[in-house]
Amino acid sequence: MEKILITGISGGQGRLLTRRLLEGYEVCGVDKVPWEGHPRDVEVHVVDLRKKKFEDVIRTEMPNAVVHMGFIRHFRGDEKSRHDVNVRGTKQLLDHCANYGVQQLVVLSSSYVYGAFPENPFYMDEDHPLSASRSYPEIRDLVEVDTLASAFIWKYPHIRTAILRPVNVLGHYVHSMIGQYLRIDRSPTMMGFDPLMQFIHEEDVAEAIALTLQHGLQGVFNVTGPGQVPLSVAIRETGGSALPLPEFLARPAFERLFDWGIWPYPAGALDYLKFPVTLSGKRFVEATKYRPLFGLEEIFQSLVR
Amino acid sequence: MARQTGIRGALSDLAGALLPLSLRDLGSEIDDRMAKIPSELNEYGYDRFAMSPVDARSALLNAAVLYRYYFRVETFGIEQLPPGGMLLIANHAGQLPFDAAMLGASLFLEAEPPRIARGMGEYWIPQLPFVSVMAARSGHQVGTPENCTQLLDAGECVMVFPEGVRGMNKLFRDRYKLMRFGLGFMRLALATGVPIVPVGIVGSEEQNPGLLNLERVANLFGMPALPVTPTFPLLGPLGLLPMPVRYRFHFGAPMHFEGDAGEEDAAIERRVNEVRDALDGLLKRGREQRSGIFS
Repeated sequence: MEKILITGISGGQGRLLTRRLLEGYEVCGVDKVPWEGHPRDVEVHVVDLRKKKFEDVIRTEMPNAVVHMGFIRHFRGDEKSRHDVNVRGTKQLLDHCANYGVQQLVVLSSSYVYGAFPENPFYMDEDHPLSASRSYPEIRDLVEVDTLASAFIWKYPHIRTAILRPVNVLGHYVHSMIGQYLRIDRSPTMMGFDPLMQFIHEEDVAEAIALTLQHGLQGVFNVTGPGQVPLSVAIRETGGSALPLPEFLARPAFERLFDWGIWPYPAGALDYLKFPVTLSGKRFVEATKYRPLFGLEEIFQSLVR
Repeated sequence: MARQTGIRGALSDLAGALLPLSLRDLGSEIDDRMAKIPSELNEYGYDRFAMSPVDARSALLNAAVLYRYYFRVETFGIEQLPPGGMLLIANHAGQLPFDAAMLGASLFLEAEPPRIARGMGEYWIPQLPFVSVMAARSGHQVGTPENCTQLLDAGECVMVFPEGVRGMNKLFRDRYKLMRFGLGFMRLALATGVPIVPVGIVGSEEQNPGLLNLERVANLFGMPALPVTPTFPLLGPLGLLPMPVRYRFHFGAPMHFEGDAGEEDAAIERRVNEVRDALDGLLKRGREQRSGIFS
């Protein structure tokens, strides 16, 4: 049986993926925090990707495939250490994959790397430039991770490497930024703006990763869900209400509050509440025949308030 | 539509009762036609491009009032519109794009089935609060080739004014003289294989006669144009409003083109000139036929 190593296995998405993969694979994982009550046949190593100990895990586990989703995506901690964990952690992981005979690698990036801009066309394909750092420097580490992994595809063509860029992920277990935002009772919005947003259910993301492994995909793939609605509809359908703020107040307020550490979203995130970032998932669908199982209504209802 | 309750409901009932009968009829006409739009809407009432007839209802009603009672629009040949994707190519004039709004209203009110005409806007439109939302809900997008191709592939009807701002702010002495055409629309037609329908708009070119265009001053302030008309800037922003000219839309027969979208400009321009000549013919005939500018 092939062995899969998952980084970030203790997170909501990691746990879902583990359950999905256990049917056909042997699964182990690493995370910086333990997974209380993990399945007995799953080995969970508590390590830092940047440390020598992680190399030892790879060397002894000898996984056939690695799924990399161990990123810090929130802004609660120190900005510099977040960058280091994400970028240097990924670099170490890529080196180990190349050195220890890993045959397949899946990196879970996101739709945010494209950036939110007024000139974004609808349904951008995978060749669209990754410009997020231009207006949202706080997530440049995630752009760098995506770019590092893209370069890895060309450097090691014999390792089947796939980068997945799913749209906004919602669900019961996943702690996504957009999920947290929609769980706020009154979600701040930008007055006079209401961008179209695509959503995907966390189980469908797990399914997409499983399909990627099964098909041995190589390349970059957007992963889309069942559809899209304007932000205001998503807020309404998840049981919240919008708090429209004029931009000239919201932007400085976000900046201050973020600097003081009492608000989890930097001002750069505001552009995602103004301009659409919609992706074409055609390439992935054609490669895998993937079809999302969860509809928009189920996705919105999966957010427990 | 869900009935509102409480004070707001009572007020809206009162407002409904006070509306002139014809306006209420117009409202129900709009609701009927909204149900017949062929665009595919999802379970929340939005199409792939964030268009929503329900959210755009007030804009449609305003446009319909202008269409029926202000510009008193007449259409000729609208029954020739093909089903599915097409590019509407029209002349552009009048300082403010009432011609685009009225052409859109015409497709919604008079075409069978009713269509939502998709406008291709400037980059700054999505940056304007409220305008950005209303534009998207009414079916208008930023005019990138990617967006236009996707709309045409989805079987939508895209409006293009190849004269662009050169046309909108043309001077009165140049009325009905077609300015230089952009070539992009022809490349998109070739790439997607959709027909081109020329639409001669008669009326808009007299609605607010341009006497001068202070281009240098406009450049200084980063504006697309700074027209001087008998009423603007004399009467302030209100001076940009159009006179109650009568609009007449002359729809031409669909034109089909074949070839490589990547051909050099000269080859593309030859085909563009065919469209331009067709449009010119429609405008000439329309001006000869009309009884007067206002009547």
